[in-house]
Amino acid sequence: MRLLVVEDETRIAELVKTALARVGFAVDVVSLCADARAALAVTSYDATIIDLGLPDGDGLSLLRELRTRGNQTPVLVLTARDAVEDRVRGLDTGADDYLVKPFAMTELIARTKALLRRPGGALGMTLKAGNISFDTIERGVRVEGTSLILPRRESAILENLMRRLGRVVPKAVFEEKLYGLDDEHGSNTIPVHIHHLRRKLLDAGATAEIHTVRGVGYLLTETSS
Amino acid sequence: MKLAMPGSLQVRLALRLAALYVAATAIAVGILVYQAYETADTLNDRELTLRAADLARHVTIDSSGAARLELPPALAASYQAGGNSDIFAVRRGADAVLAAFPPNFSEAAIKWPLATDEPSYFHLKDFGSEGREYYGLTVMQSSAAGPLSVSVARAADADILVHSLLREFVLDIAWVIPVLVMVTLMVGVFAIRSAFRPVADISRIAAAIAPGAMSIRLPEKNLPSEITPLVAAVNHALDRLEEGFDLQRQFTANAAHELRTPLAIVTAALDSIDENAEIAKIKADVARMNRLVDQLLRVARLDAVALDVSDRLDLNEVAADIVGSMAPWSLARKKPIAFHGENKPVVIKGNRYAIGDAIRNLVENAVTHTASGSEVTVSTYANGSISIADRGPGIPPEQRNHVFERFWRGKATNSTGAGLGLAIVAEIMKAHHGSVSVDDNPGGGMVFTLRFGRDEPSGIKRPRGGGGAK
Repeated sequence: MRLLVVEDETRIAELVKTALARVGFAVDVVSLCADARAALAVTSYDATIIDLGLPDGDGLSLLRELRTRGNQTPVLVLTARDAVEDRVRGLDTGADDYLVKPFAMTELIARTKALLRRPGGALGMTLKAGNISFDTIERGVRVEGTSLILPRRESAILENLMRRLGRVVPKAVFEEKLYGLDDEHGSNTIPVHIHHLRRKLLDAGATAEIHTVRGVGYLLTETSS
Repeated sequence: MKLAMPGSLQVRLALRLAALYVAATAIAVGILVYQAYETADTLNDRELTLRAADLARHVTIDSSGAARLELPPALAASYQAGGNSDIFAVRRGADAVLAAFPPNFSEAAIKWPLATDEPSYFHLKDFGSEGREYYGLTVMQSSAAGPLSVSVARAADADILVHSLLREFVLDIAWVIPVLVMVTLMVGVFAIRSAFRPVADISRIAAAIAPGAMSIRLPEKNLPSEITPLVAAVNHALDRLEEGFDLQRQFTANAAHELRTPLAIVTAALDSIDENAEIAKIKADVARMNRLVDQLLRVARLDAVALDVSDRLDLNEVAADIVGSMAPWSLARKKPIAFHGENKPVVIKGNRYAIGDAIRNLVENAVTHTASGSEVTVSTYANGSISIADRGPGIPPEQRNHVFERFWRGKATNSTGAGLGLAIVAEIMKAHHGSVSVDDNPGGGMVFTLRFGRDEPSGIKRPRGGGGAK
């Protein structure tokens, strides 16, 4: 899988490249908007990481240009800017996610993988969390290699949690994705499904657990042994 | 003692205009009345002179050469009918009184010097049996009997002409004057108001200028020329202010970039080294450094750039976002976090990013201090407030006033914070004209409460206008 990193700070570019290469990505690094344009024109990247402050232009305008040309490559924006407004502007322009400098390399890797795991993304086939794997095409769940049979809605909940591993999935997302608008009893049954799913994962010896953030939603985290 | 002057220029002008009208009217009426009296006096003079001439005409010389006044019966009757209102004395030479009416007038008239060419005026007080007051003149008249000195007078209370004239004036004309003053005044006030409309318009525009809307300028067209220089000066001041704001913003943005880049490099470099006990310690130190820089930059930003607090936002939405984004961090420390949102949206006016920062700081604080395994709860209320409660050791009452000071850290805590988090919260609340308070959490721990004013759906007119709750 091939990634493009657009970053003018050579030390950071170097470290990002090393870290991403270590987890198995092929990484191209450029430091100028012009070089990025040239690279994107000849190579089809699975994801692009763009720093906002570049010597020959603004990362945001590069991004806008990319999107106007119909390029749908997932983009992760890096920014050292203080104003949160800038991050939001980045997302409006078409960035898929953003990270504020300084960031932990593990966070960068997790976010990059999450982008690739999106529907249509390069990692779209199999989701992983701890010893759980989820095949999004065959819709089969395995814990430590052993198949785990889940009802349709529990399996849909698990998929959503695994797509955003380590981050909270708001209740509203489940309500939206699991039930039709006309289904009024929908929201009350989600805690019940979560309860069953949690039980089953525990019984199967999964090394990831579902946490409840009351009033907000749920999140799946890998249990550190 | 000084009279307090009302502040409004419109009122001042209207008051002065009113005073001017009243004074002008008073002077005009005064002149009119004076003129009426003058005219009446002139008329009186002429009438008296005519009467004197009339009397002289009826003086005749009889066969013996003696002069006599022979009044025609109609004239004599009219004198009689007047009841001593009109009196006269006709003298020929110093001692000879030819005739007098009433006869006792001769006693007074005989003492006066004879008339010359110029008429001489006299004033009789307390004359006759009724003690009436008379005004009259003595004039030289030529007659059949030679020059005569004729004194004619009329009782003061018999000045029917002048009195009726004045009565007429008061009844028929004078009532119009106050009405006229009122109407003129109203027209004046209306004219002043319409002249001041452009000023009211630019006031409305000026009210919309805020940190988030710095580019608004006051229109300089169609303004009274007295105000144009003031408006131009204000616009110029706004230009310079905006420049200042931009410079500050630019500076903090640059400072942020310059400080964070080396930190990002160190953080990334540490991540690429295989972890051991020493590396773990350095990582913690760098994390602390990161946090400190982050908070210092936030403080600098709050100090340098006025916060735009004109946005409408739902506290529920902002709080749920923050709780959601902090839950992984909090859960990793075995400290669950929960959100109790008010059922309906809690719409307030403010800056959503700053309010998010304030909530984040308080949640960080609460998670750091709450006991392991105990829950941190964030709750919103319909009155526009939000509270963050923990089950930590609490803060002694005597220290609670200090927690919002910069770089203040509790003695008991061994936290790694710089002591800026709560100061930032206090700054943000100040910018929102809200408040932050700290109280005991019933059952142990602390509750921090942020209070915002609810956004009134229809209150002050705002240029952008605003719908109801989202």
